[in-house]
Amino acid sequence: MRLLFLFLIFSQVVNAQKYFTRTGLTEFKASIDAFEPVEAKNNSCSVILNTNTGDIAALIPINAFKFKIALMQEHFNENYMDSDKFPKATFKGKVENFNKNNLDTKKKHQIKGILTIRNISKNIDISATFHRIDTKTIIKSNFKVKPEDFGIEIPSVVRKKIAKTINISLNYELTEKK
Amino acid sequence: MNLQKKNKWILIFILVLSVTLFSTYNYIYKSHKLTEELPTEFKGTSSDFINLAKNSDWVNKAVEIKGQITSKDSLGLILNNNIYCQLRQTKNIDKLTKSQTITIKGIVIGYDDLLDELKLNQCIIKN
Repeated sequence: MRLLFLFLIFSQVVNAQKYFTRTGLTEFKASIDAFEPVEAKNNSCSVILNTNTGDIAALIPINAFKFKIALMQEHFNENYMDSDKFPKATFKGKVENFNKNNLDTKKKHQIKGILTIRNISKNIDISATFHRIDTKTIIKSNFKVKPEDFGIEIPSVVRKKIAKTINISLNYELTEKK
Repeated sequence: MNLQKKNKWILIFILVLSVTLFSTYNYIYKSHKLTEELPTEFKGTSSDFINLAKNSDWVNKAVEIKGQITSKDSLGLILNNNIYCQLRQTKNIDKLTKSQTITIKGIVIGYDDLLDELKLNQCIIKN
């Protein structure tokens, strides 16, 4: 009996295929033409995808967003995102109709889940492409969020210089977790 | 007001204006703080730090950590299986080998509960 139990646990471990990255790239753009570009890149995002169930989770450390202008980065962390108080944004969701054996050509899937920024959670539904190249599974997506949905206030002085909706793009290269 | 006096005021005005412009420019376009310029708020081994980091908040602080490299990827390395250090420059990463003991200075970006490890960014190798 004990052996069977052990066997069950073991087979679960073998079956639970997980793909992950700790250096996923998340970018955002909130620029308005004619003003200083408001954009940043973050290549320290962690993502885990369970290829059996399509469950996906991501963690984005806020203070790892890099801006060209140091002062903008400071304001982003201190005034807009409070990164000391809310150091990370998270996403937890599921890839719809996901099939791990079907990724040799680029496939489009909807991902539904909960995005949490500054401790405020919102349901989102985004479309993303999945593609397996050699040992890597590449996830790419573009979607928009509104700062006010997450309680981010933009002072009136700079309101004209920051876009009302923010474009977020993802490029995650996952490798198998052993 | 004679011409000489007027000229003097114009000169002062230009001087004040250029100083203001210069300092505003410097303020807006100041350079990014490098890891080596930040004060080191913790110095010690990775096992000491991982216990500390779970208890209190170290986000945005620079720390200096000594540990053994347990694995590597193209952008960084892992100390003692639980601290991921993303390097600022990766050109010398090939010289680092597994099970080597090194000291790294980096900025804490937070605890990653997905992978159960602490993450450091902008890391530089001390020795």
